[in-house]
Amino acid sequence: MDPRNFTFMFYGFLAAWLIVFLYVISLARRGARLKKELENVRELVSSSQRSTSSPVQSAEPTHKQ
Amino acid sequence: MRERIAIGLAVGAAVLLSYNLYQMFMVLPDEAMQGAIYRILFFHAPSAIVGMIGYFVALTFSVLYLSSGKLRWDSLSASVIEVSLVFSVVNIVTGSIWARIIWGIWWTWDYRLTSALVCVLIFAGYLMMRRAIEEPTQRARLSAALCIFGCVDVVIVWKSIEWFRNNHPGPVLTIRTGGGTMDPAMERIFYLNLLAILLMAIALVLVRTRQEATALQIDSLRRLANAA
Amino acid sequence: MPGRLEDRPPLRMKTVQQALCVARKDLAIELRTKESLNAAGAFAITILLLLSFVFDVTSEETREIAGGLLWLVFAFAGALVFNRGFARELPNECLDVLLASALSRASLLIGKAIANFVTLLVVEFLSLIIFGIFYDIRWWLHTAPLAASFLLATWGISIVGAVFGALTVNLRLRELMLPVIIYPLLIPLLIAAIEITNLLFSAQPSLSEGLLWGRLLIVFDIVFTALALSLADTLLVN
Repeated sequence: MDPRNFTFMFYGFLAAWLIVFLYVISLARRGARLKKELENVRELVSSSQRSTSSPVQSAEPTHKQ
Repeated sequence: MRERIAIGLAVGAAVLLSYNLYQMFMVLPDEAMQGAIYRILFFHAPSAIVGMIGYFVALTFSVLYLSSGKLRWDSLSASVIEVSLVFSVVNIVTGSIWARIIWGIWWTWDYRLTSALVCVLIFAGYLMMRRAIEEPTQRARLSAALCIFGCVDVVIVWKSIEWFRNNHPGPVLTIRTGGGTMDPAMERIFYLNLLAILLMAIALVLVRTRQEATALQIDSLRRLANAA
Repeated sequence: MPGRLEDRPPLRMKTVQQALCVARKDLAIELRTKESLNAAGAFAITILLLLSFVFDVTSEETREIAGGLLWLVFAFAGALVFNRGFARELPNECLDVLLASALSRASLLIGKAIANFVTLLVVEFLSLIIFGIFYDIRWWLHTAPLAASFLLATWGISIVGAVFGALTVNLRLRELMLPVIIYPLLIPLLIAAIEITNLLFSAQPSLSEGLLWGRLLIVFDIVFTALALSLADTLLVN
């Protein structure tokens, strides 16, 4: 038996630190995902802006029956 | 700038926590009745206090959003609620572990535990709901409403069950009792740990708010890309 | 021709009159279609039937938790009612028309809450009769306090259901989100309603304890109705 209740004290500390640690990990992962998504969207915007500002291509010949 | 403040706060919290842990395990003796397990209090109660303060800070931000319409307030509110929820969960879990030894049961329906659980349920629902709504203004409006109703509800739960069920230990801090119920050395470490957890919470809120701002930026860039 | 312009009543009516107008419209639709009544009523009776298999309905312990069983059923049936409340205005853009009309947002909200309230009361009354039969509970022994507690608790549920029904009406996952949002908010109200109901079903109900829980119901109703009215204009937008 544990007269000092040390085991459960350890469990309590472990639980507290683990919950905060898991949250910090999830924040870090979310941050990395958002950063990557921001880069992708910025690229998407700049490529779509480039395509709208480029000269109009000649129309393809229509198929004659 | 915000990143530097967050890092500064995190470092401050880490230094304080290291000092407090040293004091807790190397300097402070075991408690007369509880043994070593009383040390859980140094995380359990500050987490509860930080959580509760957070919800009412989020309430202020929600009201500011509804009056100004600026999404910045909604981002702040959501970030504060998320971090407060984490600390509320820490509060409930550490409390249950302590209670298993001291009371012999994992849970009881007294007013503080019940209102803590209701808080967690309301604000977990808040976060779930936010994930389900893509349009920022609609999400902000619904979040603000739920935050306001949720905070009022928590106060009602707290006061009403206090009339009926009270197993939880009463106040021990000098500011509540006027002195004599807690060892001064333990009380000092308690306040230092409260400060450390508060600093940690503010750092996490700053990081989370930055992420919310990035998400809004991504959303508006996507709309721009679709419009082009 | 509906009548001369100068003979028509003024558009600006008081909030209560507007709210009753909205409630009357919703209740007329409900009376004709019975969509919420049928769904909520059938659900309530099915759950009561299932619960009567789970618990030994003749035992004293079951009588002690009868209030809890009943209010759980009402809370779940209520979600079905609130989902329809604003959702029935979505086809043909009726909700946009209501919001653009001269109706105040507060009266629209209260009107919907009144309609929810009446519908839920009907479901509760029917369930109480079935419950009395299945569980052999003599609920008519303290009719006046029971009716008062039902009215107060049902209003609290209805106003919260109306507010969040309005806010979630355009959500893709409305049916999922509405219960997740409103049930934690309703916890204090449901606790009070359950305690009062259990007291009134017992042999000798304690008046002082009943009044304490009744006070909670009144506080909840006043606070949440006031919140709903003050936030209606901000929350209900196109």
